[in-house]
Amino acid sequence: MTTSAIGIERPRVDGPAKVTGAAVYTADIELPGMLYTKVLRSPYPHARLLNVDASKAAAYPGVVAVVTRDDLRDLALPYFGPIVKDQPVVAIDRVRFVGDIVAAVAAEARDVAEEAVGLIEAEYEPLPGVFDALSAIQPDAPVLHERRQTSEGRLDTPSLRFEDAGNVCSVYHVEDGDLAAGFAAADEIFEDVYSTAKLQHGHIEPHAALAYWEPSGKLVVYTATQNPSYIRIQLAELFGLPQSQVRVIVPFVGGGYGGKVHARLEPLAALLARKARRPVQWVLTREEVFLTGHCHAATVRIRTGVKRDGTLVAREVEAYYDTGAYAMTGPTTAKNGGEVSGGPYRIPNQSLTSYCVYTNTPPTGPFRGFGTPQVCWPYECQMDDIARRLGIDPLALRQKNLVGEGDTFVTGDALQSVGLADCLQEVARAIDWQGAAEQAPRPPGPLVRGKGLAVMIKTTMTPSNSTATVRLNADGSATLLTSSVEIGQGTLTSLAQIVAEELRLPLERVTVTFPDTDVTPFDQSTSSSRTVFSMGRAALGAAGEVRQQLLDIGARALETAPDDLELDDGAVQVRGAPSRRLTFPQLFTAHFGAPVGSLLGHYSFQTQGGVNPATGKGKGRASVYFFLSACAAEVEVDVETGKARVLRMANAVDAGKAINPRQCHLQNEGSMLTELGAALFEEMVFEDGQPINASFVEYMLPSLEDHPQQFRSLLVEHPHPLGPYGAKGVGEAALGPVGPAIGNAVANALGGVRLRDLPLRPDRVLAALAAAKGARA
Amino acid sequence: MTITINTAINGRQRELAVQPHQTLLECLRDDLRLRGTVEGCGVGVCGSCTVLVDGRPVSSCLLLATNADGKQVTTIEGLADGDRLHPVQEAFLQCHAFQCGYCTPGMIMATVGLLAASPRPTEEETRDYLSGNICRCGTYVEVLAAVRALAGQVAPEGSA
Repeated sequence: MTTSAIGIERPRVDGPAKVTGAAVYTADIELPGMLYTKVLRSPYPHARLLNVDASKAAAYPGVVAVVTRDDLRDLALPYFGPIVKDQPVVAIDRVRFVGDIVAAVAAEARDVAEEAVGLIEAEYEPLPGVFDALSAIQPDAPVLHERRQTSEGRLDTPSLRFEDAGNVCSVYHVEDGDLAAGFAAADEIFEDVYSTAKLQHGHIEPHAALAYWEPSGKLVVYTATQNPSYIRIQLAELFGLPQSQVRVIVPFVGGGYGGKVHARLEPLAALLARKARRPVQWVLTREEVFLTGHCHAATVRIRTGVKRDGTLVAREVEAYYDTGAYAMTGPTTAKNGGEVSGGPYRIPNQSLTSYCVYTNTPPTGPFRGFGTPQVCWPYECQMDDIARRLGIDPLALRQKNLVGEGDTFVTGDALQSVGLADCLQEVARAIDWQGAAEQAPRPPGPLVRGKGLAVMIKTTMTPSNSTATVRLNADGSATLLTSSVEIGQGTLTSLAQIVAEELRLPLERVTVTFPDTDVTPFDQSTSSSRTVFSMGRAALGAAGEVRQQLLDIGARALETAPDDLELDDGAVQVRGAPSRRLTFPQLFTAHFGAPVGSLLGHYSFQTQGGVNPATGKGKGRASVYFFLSACAAEVEVDVETGKARVLRMANAVDAGKAINPRQCHLQNEGSMLTELGAALFEEMVFEDGQPINASFVEYMLPSLEDHPQQFRSLLVEHPHPLGPYGAKGVGEAALGPVGPAIGNAVANALGGVRLRDLPLRPDRVLAALAAAKGARA
Repeated sequence: MTITINTAINGRQRELAVQPHQTLLECLRDDLRLRGTVEGCGVGVCGSCTVLVDGRPVSSCLLLATNADGKQVTTIEGLADGDRLHPVQEAFLQCHAFQCGYCTPGMIMATVGLLAASPRPTEEETRDYLSGNICRCGTYVEVLAAVRALAGQVAPEGSA
């Protein structure tokens, strides 16, 4: 009998390649005649581009092609963008951030390209800029974009309202109940403003792409992307090609975390390659990565009405997401943050609104957590302030208000697979939470300790589509054709486990392809922690089709009904009579006359949902499933230096069903550590739009020195009816509650002194302590 | 202008013509096509380009190739003995101590260096020694487990 492939810690398929250095990433690929790229970037955050003269660069020995705005003329629309086509392939009339691309050079060697870029003359007329979302929405703020054109063919944008003027790109709103009545019924009202910083994704592999054109006119692009299907769509639109004439291939990707979702380098690399008539490689330096994408900073106003017994009765949230100079996925990031900005609580009266706002800073993009950490930070910090003022244990206050199985969420969704109470219980136990009474007496000396809790709810991209093909080969091995990307999350292994389980094959007999849009079918995106759930469902469906064909062939060959048969260890056998059995190759022979041919299964998994942008009312489903998690942290703060460090941390995620538990833990640990960095020290700093810490020397990522001594990932399993074997996604699930758990622990350590801006830098801790002391004096 | 250096790369003595400004990383990747060693930051702080020079971990993005003259350089490609993985590679595999894999060669080389310097490192030593190797996937729990599993398993001379 085949042992089950589900729920066990299978060794990763990609392990041998990764521990030997044999794993191939995009920058490792070299083609004959390949050229190297360097680009000229704007030194101004906002300026009119008066003149670009690249003639000296074009004449420089070793330069093969130079691209400026003059090379965009034959493109029907020289702009790209997944939701709003607002980003020119190179700057046309304006530059909008420090680092905006003005021109590009392809040359025989990297240093030749770099020298040639230095010969390009560009003339600018500086314009006033705007550098944060709240300044950008003022009526007299300089406006970044006059023209707007939304992309067609996106499934997840109908819930948004797009603005035509000013710097607000899009608005999302959802509401439920009667807000005024809710606040009127409240005994206490809490109103605060919280903020989070711009963050680097920090994928250690910089963005990389390699493009060339075949003589037939077909465009081929190797790229480090999380999104081959949409890269293909965008390149086809840009160059006026049928999608079948664009081939996107994705090798191993050295981390994404959202930073490699959607086109970044691909349009310009393709344009350079077209002009050069040679393959063109473009790999960013780390400093350029800082100018290419980052996480939205957000400012959030949150107002909450509560009864004296701790019952939440009303909540109003306004969240402003700074999307940078181009929209990218800012509209959907703001939407996904907005819809969960009230938190995982039963609150009958809510009004939640989020704005995606342009500023003269580098473009943003999806970032692990996709808009959710920005709102979880305020609602969970405020929850502890409520608990403190009402004299209720923060754990009990949360338990009293948590959503449960079958509750209706603000979007109208009836919640399913809700293991949140278990998650909260588990993490509280893991740090020995003793209740509000523990809110500690301060020992002498500068070091104080505190504990904090937080919970989170997050949506996944809905609607969306994942399509898979399973090909059973005549020797009984199977190939899953999928455009899901191995970005480190273990897709090559987890999807193989699902196909192996459905076809009752040993795992070694199943191979998952790397994305190649010539052969692998459409996938919405390797993001939103959707691969195991959505592509897993598609893989399960495609394998199920093959399974049925095997049963039908077996029934004819064994002269019985398909229902009397079962699959076992690469064979079809009669239930209860396992001696009447045909192996898969024997079934091929029975069907085709010899072990030749293929059996193909194909399945498209499509989800539906959203809200009505005109009314803000839910349609009954905003998210095909919800991520739920809880975090608990214990911190130590030095009140003389202001430095906080995390002593122990536990995080529990409701995984639905863990297909590969070790891989789920790895994903959780990554989420936990990423948000630990965001909570304590990570932030991109700008002065008048000039980045001043765009390197890993000044912008630190968490290392083993920052890693808490006790660091526990926990899994709770409440199977989801739609997930493959009950699985939900976990990739980002652990991230959201980490910031507020640490923030609440710091506030607890400081005797209730609350910091509302991330990161919790030492200077902010000292300033908050000084302000609290001043207020008491 | 090129300068000739004599360097043992993964145990094989090579005479290499390098440019004066060329880093060891560029020499390995561009000239020798050893692409298991990768660039993450270019300024010597992320550790993803770590190789061993005379048995000690070095950021190859900072070392000029000319400075490798007369030295022994070991890269991730030089660790395994044919199909037999080096014990550190085996431990990383068994402990699931990687995710996207981009920082993994550098992390493995640094671990080889750690165990050469201290065959039974305390956890504090390990944290300190490997703190220059950044894993944004956050796989540190598993890296620590791999080092624990290796304690006393790797002879100091196993470093090259």
